[in-house]
Amino acid sequence: MFNTSTTWLRNSLCATLIVAPVVLAAPAHAQSVYPSADETLDWTIAFGPGGGNDIMARTIIDILTKYDLYPGDISPENRAGGSGAVGWGHLFGQSGDPYGISTTSGSFVTTPLQADTPWQPADFTPVALLATDDLVLVVNGSSAIQNIEDFIAAANAGPMNIGGTGTVNVDFIVPTLFAEKAGFEFEYVSFNSMADQTTALLSDALDAMVGNPGEILGMIDSGDLRPLVYSGASTPDALGDVPTMGDLGFDIGVSMPRGLILAPNVPVETQEWWIATMRKVVDTPEWAEYIKTNTLTPTVIYGEEFRTFLTNTKDGFEKVLKSVGAID
Amino acid sequence: MDIFGDLVMGLSIAITPINLLYLLIGAIVGMVVGVIPGFGPSAGLAILLPVTFGMDPTGAIMMLAAIYYGAMYGGTITSILLNTPGESATVASTFDGYPLAKKGRAGPALVMQAVASFVGGTVGVILITILAPMFSQVSRSFGPPEYFLLAMMGMLTLIVMIGNHWKLGLISALIGFALGTVGVDLETGQGRYTFGSAELIGGIYFIPIAIGLFGLGELFYAFFVGMHKSGSGGIVQYDKEAAFWPSAEDWLSTRMTMVRGSILGFVVGVIPGAGATIASLMAYSTERSMSKHPERFGTGEMAGLVAPETANNAASSGAMIPLLTLGIPGSASTAVLLAAFMLWGLRPGPLFMEQNPELAWGLIASMYLGNMILLAISVFAIPLFVQIIKVPYRLLAPIIVVICTLGTFSVHASFIETYLMFAAGIVGFFMRLYGFSPAALVLALVLGPLAEEALRQTLTISRGSAMIFLERPASLWIIGVTIVLVVVLPFMSRHGKSAGNAEKSGT
Repeated sequence: MFNTSTTWLRNSLCATLIVAPVVLAAPAHAQSVYPSADETLDWTIAFGPGGGNDIMARTIIDILTKYDLYPGDISPENRAGGSGAVGWGHLFGQSGDPYGISTTSGSFVTTPLQADTPWQPADFTPVALLATDDLVLVVNGSSAIQNIEDFIAAANAGPMNIGGTGTVNVDFIVPTLFAEKAGFEFEYVSFNSMADQTTALLSDALDAMVGNPGEILGMIDSGDLRPLVYSGASTPDALGDVPTMGDLGFDIGVSMPRGLILAPNVPVETQEWWIATMRKVVDTPEWAEYIKTNTLTPTVIYGEEFRTFLTNTKDGFEKVLKSVGAID
Repeated sequence: MDIFGDLVMGLSIAITPINLLYLLIGAIVGMVVGVIPGFGPSAGLAILLPVTFGMDPTGAIMMLAAIYYGAMYGGTITSILLNTPGESATVASTFDGYPLAKKGRAGPALVMQAVASFVGGTVGVILITILAPMFSQVSRSFGPPEYFLLAMMGMLTLIVMIGNHWKLGLISALIGFALGTVGVDLETGQGRYTFGSAELIGGIYFIPIAIGLFGLGELFYAFFVGMHKSGSGGIVQYDKEAAFWPSAEDWLSTRMTMVRGSILGFVVGVIPGAGATIASLMAYSTERSMSKHPERFGTGEMAGLVAPETANNAASSGAMIPLLTLGIPGSASTAVLLAAFMLWGLRPGPLFMEQNPELAWGLIASMYLGNMILLAISVFAIPLFVQIIKVPYRLLAPIIVVICTLGTFSVHASFIETYLMFAAGIVGFFMRLYGFSPAALVLALVLGPLAEEALRQTLTISRGSAMIFLERPASLWIIGVTIVLVVVLPFMSRHGKSAGNAEKSGT
């Protein structure tokens, strides 16, 4: 029991010890070269260990360390809570501090839509969008539906039940936009987790579902699930010759951003240093391996373009969610 | 005989000194995280996961799995001694475990819970070994209609909890259902009673409520009756020196309970999402409806402790089935295990056991050894834990408050949850004072959202028709079992005794 208590104490103590001197020393940064080897980089992971955000952050840190791309110490801290509100709230509070950094995921866009967070995605200093999490539409392997054309034909004959995780989420927005463009109707069934919706599909309660390919690849390989269409820009190798929604002429242009952000209002030089560094990171074989094992779509854009992307994604979400009454 | 070949191969991997060491570490850590209220196996796993990055996957997964099932052993200790469930799956163990301790039978209760845990865990692993492929079919047949019916079955336990003071019990349950509505509505995405707080998006987690109601509520009540003034008196006042080992009657009367609890717990554990908590509650109510003395439940009946204990351990084994055969995590803890698999570049799914036989069978074999290690640790540790109830109350009480606070905070590092825990403590005191049922409240809080979501999913799928419950084979099975539990068994047991007794039982 005392192990845990000391871990928490230590974490918060460390956070205080790291943050305090950085804030006090802030004016000195302007003269010295960024990044200074004497400063510890405070890397916020807004979710618990083992999640998608955590894996991405630790992969980038491993690459930075292995190739000596960052001169100082990096201290990754899992600041989970409130679907990312706690962690990104911490980074928001580090405004102007060039040694505060974090990785983003879907909740970075959706949490501010659901709760009164003091921050919006566009408030932070954008470094780069590195990859997007896209979705694959699957049916049960025993289903008569063999491909997306069959699916659309069947959906036109009678509305299908499509499952996904949550409502304020791409899982809902992607099939909604796709159905709108392809001209079919469906009932969206919202689940709490990928596990619940997968069992529902396997039990034939659902006709189809959307999910991140990484989590269901094992069942796609074994033939228990059949992939029909992919929402990203290009289909990952692991899914074979499954078409993208764009291939069908129904491009929806919505995906979950996996990127890198700094605290708000940091010097332009800091932002530029990180953009140059991330250009090196995405060229490493380790990064390619990470993209492959997690079946992400490598979509790289830098700096202010990433801020525009975040704003567009947020506006797109807001529009769809308001139209169905999910948010005010 | 293929199975035995695989198992022997698995054992040869599990028994290497370094893997045994990992297993031992996992078992001890599991016990410890189980003992701390609130700090459950999923939090323990998540914190230790980064430590395993550089390790060999087989040893690491054995260690992580041992933390997971080890927590089931540790979680009951505080349920029995302090009326504070160490984690969610041991809430049901407070119902009869704490009354047993109050009767002065803490030693036998702890020994029986360790044995029950061992039996449940081991039966569970045996069933995994021989029946994994068959049970993977069970986890494939559960959709929203079945989850709804299962939640309804779990609510039978509510009737048991409500018992004789039905008005107070009903009010308690309704408060629980009301708390269960907080959070983002799954279907429409609208926030319900979240007041814009990001920490309430996910709803009110029941762990802080359970710790507050049971642990702190009991503590405040003890102060109210002036227990702290007794100077040297512990939490439990003994009339006589209590025996440490269980009596022959304890063993004999619970041998069938262990068998039933193991099988029921395993089957429920196999169903993704149902998990050890529901398994332990169902085992408790099943045992009560099968018992010849249902009126003794809640007053310190050994079978009332053994049933949920065997069930929650068997369920933690059962939850390995969807994880290993389908790549579907059945609980928060197995979700962390799944994340671990993916970190090591393994691809969970139906082909996992075929593609990684050494890891899969090494893990299964290690679970036999792990359960033995845990039984041994428990038996050695029990004499130490029993001393807790001899500590003067004025010294113990502040320690309980600190542990409850740290445990609650450690789960999500949330201040709101910590405040909720203290608020629940005050509410728990008044519930205790006026005879309300904290157990009914907690159960309603667990089952309410589950039932609501499953029902709405079901009706969305069926376009509003309730006939869907009669069209699916798995649903029909659950309805059948429920009828047996509610109608047939009480009817049969009523025939064995006087009508007056049956009236009192309240079923």
